[in-house]
Order: sequence, then structure tokens, then C-alpha cells
Amino acid sequence: MKLNKYRKKSPWILHYNAGGCNGCDIEILACLGPKYDIERFGMINSGNPKQADIMLVTGPVTKRSRERLVDIYSQMPEPKVVVACGSCTCSGGVFRGMYNCEGGVDQYIPVDVYVPGCGCRPEQIIAGVVEALAKLEQKTKDIEKSIRLDRSPQINNGQVDRREIAVGIAPGKVFG
Amino acid sequence: MATQYEIPIGAQHISLLEPLHFKFTTENEKIIKAEANVGYVHRGIEQACCSKFKFRQVSFVVGRVCGLCSISHTTCYSQVIERMMSLDIPRKAKYLRMLVIELDRIHSHLLCLSHVAENSGFEALFMKTMAYREFSMELLEAVCGNRIQYDYSIVGGVTRDLREDVARMILERLKTFKPQLDELVDIYGNNYTLGLKNKGVGVLTKEDVYHLSAVGPFARAAGVPIDVRNETEDRLPWKEVGFEVVTENSGDVWARNMVRLRELYVSMRIIENVINGLPEGDIALDFKGFPNGEAINRVEAPRGELFYYAKGNKTQILERLKIKAPTFSNVPSMVHGFKNNEYASAPAIIGSYDPCLSCTSR
Repeated sequence: MKLNKYRKKSPWILHYNAGGCNGCDIEILACLGPKYDIERFGMINSGNPKQADIMLVTGPVTKRSRERLVDIYSQMPEPKVVVACGSCTCSGGVFRGMYNCEGGVDQYIPVDVYVPGCGCRPEQIIAGVVEALAKLEQKTKDIEKSIRLDRSPQINNGQVDRREIAVGIAPGKVFG
Repeated sequence: MATQYEIPIGAQHISLLEPLHFKFTTENEKIIKAEANVGYVHRGIEQACCSKFKFRQVSFVVGRVCGLCSISHTTCYSQVIERMMSLDIPRKAKYLRMLVIELDRIHSHLLCLSHVAENSGFEALFMKTMAYREFSMELLEAVCGNRIQYDYSIVGGVTRDLREDVARMILERLKTFKPQLDELVDIYGNNYTLGLKNKGVGVLTKEDVYHLSAVGPFARAAGVPIDVRNETEDRLPWKEVGFEVVTENSGDVWARNMVRLRELYVSMRIIENVINGLPEGDIALDFKGFPNGEAINRVEAPRGELFYYAKGNKTQILERLKIKAPTFSNVPSMVHGFKNNEYASAPAIIGSYDPCLSCTSR
């Protein structure tokens, strides 16, 4: 299917700052610039969650930005991967325990790739995003597998038996 | 009266680096009212600095207030404690602090300029400015060991000495950067298409600056020579390394661009003078005792005046630490600057404000 090919070859990035210090954000911006140039992997920073495949999150998730974080994540279409950039995004870092911080993105949304470092270098971000591409491919395959049935659905009285399709989807498998 | 529409920008938007929310009331494409909502990044750093961390550790924590001007925060905190404990740090440490502050200013201003270019729709200029900016990141890495979050200033001095080869490298790179900067000044100043998007847009007059107490390049673009480097001499000797104030008169996006670009020339001159006249001596001071009493200090961050207040009570842990960041002072004038502009030019205006929300809400 062509869509899968293009999704693999040109994943679009959504960037959200969930209360970080801007350090990792400017490194993400440096990645988009000419020296590191992640556009050679076909990646473009898209501002629209509905068109994005990879979500780059920075920051330790402040109490006010967590609703927006979950909201933006739920607007992204499946399959999607989340890359947590920076120490404070992975675990809370130096902000862990502060009264308005949650200590890590993975308490709210599932994280696929953790990029450590304060602030994480552009090379690390690129390595993390390339890692995310493999995860994205795997997730795409899982979704396809879950829809492909072992045998064709039975037709009773001219209607497709939906229960057969439901059996084919393993509930845990769909979202990886 | 035409129909009024409310249009929000943020908290997540392609033209914003960080969560910032603006609510515009528009009438026929024209913004007649704007509201800013800046509290998305509040983490509670001030409270943690007064309860969780010892006063020598705090300089590393306050660097994480903002990734763009972390050296200004660490320097300002170090100076406020030095003021409180009456420490006189070595002259070499002062010079090295000035060096890193100015290198940081180069990268911050170029980032802001590239952001303005991108938000004005000039993608090629964004790429060009980002390409020219990389040299400052490499120099900062060579001097401090990290591209961002340098942790260079500590209470009593700095953490690393400037190596001979690094000093030579800085001077060489500055020489190659100078023609590139001339090119950028030419493009930002004379490009006709960019001028249509930038000239006369987001104007803040001199009276507005005094009325709304704007600081930094924002105020200097309107012709008000406010600069902490011009006012204080006791902690960092700015005058003797060749500092001078840069101002423009028109107060629009174009003038802010030009102020930032012309400040880069001043920064380059300061860096050259610092390296050529670097004094001999220690880079840090050994001291004993705990902070006691109160002190305030100001530093000129890339965005304007940064203010610290600290209060100690003869223990390891401070009693109070107050941070007032430049963008916090600029929020009223930011809101004012949108009025009577086209909605389409709002991203460029936001870019030219160079807002730093993680500083503002700590």
C-alpha cells in the first residue's frame, strides 16, 4: 500500500513543549536547520496534530500543560510514536518533586523512545527519531496484522458476521 | 460595526516554540484586542530553590529556568550571592563570564531573527540564519562543554578556564562570521518583500515604552536606551571592553531586527576585546560561610533586564529567591503592540517579541 511507504519514508513531526526550559526546543529547531537537516529523512515539522506521525515532547509536564499534551496526543492518528527529548521529559530531571511538575511525560502518554541529556544534542535527537521510525514501521505492521483475518468472515442471511472480525483483532496488539 | 471574531493562537502552534496562548479579537482581519496567557510553564523553581537545594547547587538549578539565556540566570544568581557575602571574585572570572554572556547573546539573537524570518514566510532566510548561527553553538560547546545549559558560572567564579586553542578558534570563527553578518544585515535591512511584512508592523512608540515599561531590544528599537550593561559597572566591567548602546527609532518589527543585528557587532567587539585583554589569575574563589541578609542584582539577558532578589539566613538553604525575567516586564507592551495590525502578521510580531515563557513563569 502506497500510504505505508510514504509514511515510512516521510514521517511528519509534531513538537510540543510541555513546560521545559526551551533548551531541547532550540536543539530541535537546530535539527530542522541546515547543519543537521532532518529533512533528508523526509521529516517536516508540522504544526497540525492530525497530520503528524512522530510527536517530539520536551519538558517535565507542568500541571497546566498536561491537558493540552493528552489532547494533542489523542488527536494524532494511529500509528503514532512519542519521542521524549531531554532528561526532564524522561524522568522529571532537575524539576522532579517541584510542586507544579509531574515528573516525566510517560505518566500521561505512552513513550516509545527516550532521549536523555540536559539538553539533548541534535545528534541524539536524530538518533532517537530514526529509532522512532523503526517503531512506527512495526506499529504499522501490527495494525495491518490485526485486521487481516485468518479465514474469510462468514455470511449469515446475507450479512457479515462481525464477531468473526472482532476475534481476529487481538486487543492488546492494536496499539502495540 | 463589523462582526468581531475571537481567534486563539496556542498553546501549541507551529509559530510558537513554547506554550503561549494569545486570544485575538479581530474585526475585518484587523486585531483590535489581544489577551495573553503566559502561565503554562510554571514549574515552581523559586520554591524548590528555597527548600530543596543548597545555595551552591541553586546556580545549576536556575540555569534550567531558561535554556536560551541560562548563562544570564546563573551569572545573575552567582552575583547576587557574591553581593550578599561581599565576595570579590577574580578579574579573570568576570571577563570569562562576559565572554560567555556575549556568545550566548549571539546565538539567542540569531535564533530570534531566524524565527522572525520563518514567521514572516521567508523560509530561505530562516535556513541561512540558522546555518550562520551554528558557529556560536560550536564555540559555546568548546568553551563550556555543552551546546546549551552551560552551567558556566558558579558562586565565586566560573567552572572552566579558557584554553589557548579555543581562544584562537573563537577569534578565527568571528573573522569568518563578520562578512556573514554583513550579508544578514543587508538582507534584513533592504529586502523589499521582508520589508513589506516587517516595516510599520507591530509598532511600539517611545511613549508606550515608558508607559508600559518595556525592556531590552524591544525598548531599544523604539529609541529608549535602556541597557543594564550601560548602568552597572561594579560587577562586570562592560565599559572597558567596548560596550555601547544600540538604538533604532521606528519601533516596528524591522527596527527590532536591526537592533538585534547591530548588537551582534557590539557583542563581537566585546568578545574580541575580552580574549585579547584576558587577565591572568584564578578562575574561581574559595570561600567559606553561608549567605546572610538581602541583596538584589541585575544582568542584561538577551531579552532585557533580568532581576534577582535573594535573602539568606546563615544556613545552607536560602530563605527567599525572586526571579523577574525580561519577558515578564514585556507582557503588557506585547499585548499592546498587536493592536491595529493585520491578523496575518501576528506570527511575525510574536517572533519579533522573542518571548521566553519559561523565564516568565519560572
